[in-house]
Order: sequence, then structure tokens, then C-alpha cells
Amino acid sequence: MSFLTGAAALLWVLGGFFFLSGTVGLLRFPDTLSRLHAVTKADNLGLGLILLGVAVHGASVVLAAKLLLIWMLALLAASFSAHLVARSHLRDEASRDG
Amino acid sequence: MAELLGWVFDALLALALLLLAARVVFSPRLFESIVLFIVFGLLMAIAWARLAAPHLALAEAAIGAGITGALLLSTFRELVIGRTPSPEAPRVLVYRWHGLMALLAGGLFAVLGWALLSIDVPTGPVAGEQAMALLARTAVDDAVTAVLLDFRAYDTLLEMGVLLLAVLGARAALGSQGPASSDDLWTDGEGDTPMVGALVGMLSPLIIIMAGYLLWAGAYGPGGAFQAGAVLAALGVLLRLTGRIVPAPRAGVVQRGVLVIGMGVFTLAGLLTLATGRAFLQYPESLAYPMILLIEVALTLSIALPLVLLFSGSAGIAAGRSQHSP
Repeated sequence: MSFLTGAAALLWVLGGFFFLSGTVGLLRFPDTLSRLHAVTKADNLGLGLILLGVAVHGASVVLAAKLLLIWMLALLAASFSAHLVARSHLRDEASRDG
Repeated sequence: MAELLGWVFDALLALALLLLAARVVFSPRLFESIVLFIVFGLLMAIAWARLAAPHLALAEAAIGAGITGALLLSTFRELVIGRTPSPEAPRVLVYRWHGLMALLAGGLFAVLGWALLSIDVPTGPVAGEQAMALLARTAVDDAVTAVLLDFRAYDTLLEMGVLLLAVLGARAALGSQGPASSDDLWTDGEGDTPMVGALVGMLSPLIIIMAGYLLWAGAYGPGGAFQAGAVLAALGVLLRLTGRIVPAPRAGVVQRGVLVIGMGVFTLAGLLTLATGRAFLQYPESLAYPMILLIEVALTLSIALPLVLLFSGSAGIAAGRSQHSP
């Protein structure tokens, strides 16, 4: 096993750990906002680490640039959907209280 | 080791698909079924990718999961949340000449069936070998695009007809009744949050580039008019959700033109090939690539707009208020 493969494997395991943490948080945390926090934070980091692993494994600049673009788009989508879910949650709460 | 991991992954994927499918059908809550259907579409796209069919993976992700999911969600919104059920059942109009129409359609079916049976078609593996041998002579390098727009162009032409009929059917079902919610669906008329404007501003150009790339890439790799059209339709859904475009009671001349341009250009190409003494849609070799490209561009537009109109649930669309006050 070459050094690059070893480094990639390490990054994938780390990324998998963050995905797992995010999922545990989604299932175990008590309310919507903290669940959202768990999923968006941990999964984005996990995805970044896994893509970094793929980039290291592929050892090509073009591939790395494409993966970076994918990660940025995933971050964009995650931020906006988290924003919308949080907004809908806050509005629901406001209408319940008011 | 890698092979074993592949088997484990495929087995998990297959199991997840079956469980999701069962859950979609048996879930007591409609909303949960819809969300799981979208997840099912995404896993199905991964399954197609594992089966080395990237065209189908793209189509499944864009059309199966994306656009169909959006259509189902908007239907849910209209039927379950938005609208009180109307007391009178929708009327079904029976056309006066329905007997004659049925007879004519039956006759057409019989003629087509006879034409099909009279063709001497090679069957079995020979057909595949012949197709692969002919592939080298088509204008495009990608096998799937060659089949869709050259070998079986007639099928694709009729698929466009099906899409157009779907829009006309929806238009007829809509009747004079307007869409239920004409406001922007996303913010419920409260206006933009700063995030929404940024999202539209960032994603719109990216989506247009993506659709153009898919259209262009169809000549030599996974892509083509259907995927490009679905991606473009996603932009329409986004703009509709954020109130950038709003439903209109009727489609203007431009929109009607875009609706039929795919069928029109395709049919015209077929008639031109007929007029020059070739078979229907048998492109002359020197013009095959530009003709296929032109048809693909027209198809992309005529695929995107019907999907947006179906999502909007209206006969036409119009530009909405471009600037919301936050």
C-alpha cells in the first residue's frame, strides 16, 4: 500500500466518523435546531474529508478541482436548506406561542 | 477484497431500494411517501451508476427524483394543504365524434402494426452487433445519443409528442380555473430573506451552464436533451418557488413557440429528409451532426418548459416581481 492510499484511507475513515456523528446527532438530539446543527456541521465536514481522500487517491489536479466544486455546491445546498428548515421551524413556533 | 466490498455495497443498495419502495407504498402519511419517493429516486440513480449506465443515472436523478419529486410536492401542497375541496366533481367532456375518432385511431394502430410486422428485423445478438457496427457511421460518438436521435429518432419524436400531450391534458384539466396559489411558494408572500436572493443569484448561472454542458456533452458522453431539459426545468422550479416567475392565465406566443419548437424542428428535419429522397429522419451524412445538434437544442427547450408549466400548474408563466423588499 502506497503512502497516498494510506493517507486517503485515513481521510475516508475520518470522514465516515463525522457522517456517523452527524447521523447519531440527527437521531438523538432533542429538538429541531440542534438536530439541524448536527447534520449540517458534521456531514459537511465528513463530505469534505471523503472528497479530500478521493482527491489524494486520484492524485490529479483536474479531479481535485472538480471535487472542490462539488463540495462547494454541497455546502451551498446544505446552508440554504438548513436556513429554510430553521426558518420554517421558527415560524411554526411563533404561531404556536402567539 | 474490493470485489467483496462491491458486493456488500450492491446488496445494501438493493435492500434499501426494496425497503424504501415498500415504505413509499405502505406509509400511512402521504407526505412521508413523497419524501421517501425522492430518496428512492436518488438511490435508484446510484444503482444505475453501479450498473455502468450513467445516462440513466443522470436521467433518474434529474427527472425521477428531482422534477417528479417537485411535481409531487407541489401537488401535495395544492391538494392537501392549499385548497378546500370543491363541492362539484370535475366534469368530463365527451367529444361528439368520439366513436369516429376511436375508429380512426384504431385504424392507424392497425396500419402501424402491419407496417411493423412487415419489416424484416434481425433479432437476437445479431441486432446488437449490427447496431454497434453502424454506430461508427453515425455523426455522434455516444451510443445512447446515436440510438435516441439517429437509429430510433422516430421514437424520440413521439416521446416529445407525449410530453406535449401531457401539457395539453393538464391545460384541459385546469380549465378556466386558475392556479390556487399565485404568490411565491417559498416565502408565503413574506418577501425574500437575504439568503433567497443570494441563492437565486448564485445558482441560476450555474444551472444554465450545467444544462448547456449536458446538451453539448450528449454528442460524446452521458448527457443530451432530456437531462439538459430537466436541469433547465429545475431552474424554472427554483424561480417559481422564489416568485421570480408567476403563473399566468395563458401562454404567450413565445411560450407556445417554445412548447412546440422541439416537435416542429424534429418533424421538419424528417420532412426534409423525405423530400430529398431518403427515409424519414435518415440524415444526410454531411449534415448529420449539425442537424442532430439543432434538434437537441430545440428538444431541450421543449422539454424544459412543459415541466415548468406542469410544476406551476398554469397555462403560462410570466415574470414576477424581480425585487422583493425584505
